[in-house]
Amino acid sequence: MKCLVAIAALACACAAQAAPVTPLAKADVTALLLPPAKGAKVIAIWALDCAYCEENLSALLAWQRNHENVDLVFVATDAIGQAAALEARLKAAKLDGVPSRAYADPSPERLNFLIDPTWGGETPRTLVIRADGSKNALSGALTAERIARLMP
Amino acid sequence: MRRLLLLAALAVAPAIPAHDMHGMSMGHEAAFGFDAAIDAKGRLWVVDTIGEHVRVRRSDDMGKDFTLTTIVNPTGEPIYAEGENRPKVALGPHGEIYVTWSQPRKAPWTGFVRFSRSLDDGAHFDLPATVHADRAEITHRFDALAVDGQGRVVVAWIDKRDLEAATQAGKPYLGAATYYSWSTDRGAHFAPERKIVDQSCECCRIALARAPDGSIDAFFRAIYGDNIRDHAVATLPVDGKAPQVARATFTQWHIEGCPHHGPSLAIDAAGVKHAVWFSAANDAPTITYGQLVPGQPPRHAATVATTGASHADLAVDGRRVWIVWNQMTAAGLDLMLRASTDGGAHFGEAKAIAHTDGASGWPKLVLANHQAFVAWNPGGSFRLVPADAAR
Repeated sequence: MKCLVAIAALACACAAQAAPVTPLAKADVTALLLPPAKGAKVIAIWALDCAYCEENLSALLAWQRNHENVDLVFVATDAIGQAAALEARLKAAKLDGVPSRAYADPSPERLNFLIDPTWGGETPRTLVIRADGSKNALSGALTAERIARLMP
Repeated sequence: MRRLLLLAALAVAPAIPAHDMHGMSMGHEAAFGFDAAIDAKGRLWVVDTIGEHVRVRRSDDMGKDFTLTTIVNPTGEPIYAEGENRPKVALGPHGEIYVTWSQPRKAPWTGFVRFSRSLDDGAHFDLPATVHADRAEITHRFDALAVDGQGRVVVAWIDKRDLEAATQAGKPYLGAATYYSWSTDRGAHFAPERKIVDQSCECCRIALARAPDGSIDAFFRAIYGDNIRDHAVATLPVDGKAPQVARATFTQWHIEGCPHHGPSLAIDAAGVKHAVWFSAANDAPTITYGQLVPGQPPRHAATVATTGASHADLAVDGRRVWIVWNQMTAAGLDLMLRASTDGGAHFGEAKAIAHTDGASGWPKLVLANHQAFVAWNPGGSFRLVPADAAR
């Protein structure tokens, strides 16, 4: 039992530090886009091949830490089969504490379209969904100033 | 207790096998990236990938069956096989088959441009060679391939050596440089690479097309001012002269990010540079057609498609111009066509000429006997869709 508790404690510690990247399939998009109960949900879309994306994720994480009621989720347009590479990249950038998804569909363009039909697939892409259901999105690496303009 | 056990199980569950970027093609479970060309005998050549192998196939009946399949690199290597990085094929004037691809290296955003050729009608390919002399573990990716009017092989790519140098010197540098090289001996050797331009976009394919004088023009996404990602056009000299690079689109799209969306170019017999390109200026994703004039706004600029449209290609034959693209909708993916019979002054309505519920690589237009066909591979299954039947 002691041993189990110790392992469980380890598990909890890991969970607090590193969120595993979980699949985002077509059927999951509706739930992903549900408005939060209060404040704002920020969906930060990135890709392994995008040299601007980590700074955007970092800026959004910093914003979340300084503001209340901001739900932040990272969505990689890379395939879930790349989970190990995604987790390694997030960990190296100290971004692995944020809930994180990766595409699980043969057609990344379809998920792009379902998440945001007004988006051309460029990254980074930041989608903000407010509690009242309203949405706002911006492409490109965001500064704190631009993030502020997106928020409620 | 049960919950504890569950947590414990989670804690010791093995991680997903460590397929790092070095060990696999870059992305989605199936790599749909392909290229296609039709030779002087009307035979179709298709290049794509199977895992770590580049595969060349030949069809003598316009894509219904493949009578020849040859693995270009029997020794596997990582290959970028989707998105803006996909293998390329080009045909020489004496039956040469040239193939390039980008090979991911271990570190993020790194790669080498690889080249191979067949001089025996596709039966065998030479051992792959790296095109560029620079072997730093940095980006040399997003290869583009063409053969000029003299049979010279031209390869262009995105290259971060100047970004690295600027970073080390503490100087600002946006994006990456675009480089090229050429071979005058059917790909046996390549000239030392030359820079086309500094500070261009680091994540969009480069379009190459042959002009009536036989030279190769490049059309690619560049960076103007503060991350305005418009396009530049340049003829690529193969005599050691420096390319003259001029801005050719003026959408003013500002993005500190990766469009993942390169242009296409086709040049007609009169030298008119027909082009399509993508921009999301003013948050409006748009594919635009226009005729490029170096340093000036394009002529006959027209919106081809908007929301959900991506990765257009075009071809020209006489006064006829064809534009195709992938159109995502809630109901799946449509292969779309618009055609002009007056040299691009006007285009007909957009028509869906094929559909898939799944995914496909990006469409590639090929011409045979003055007819246009669209190479597409929905679900990884190659097909050649006639463009003219839909008109």
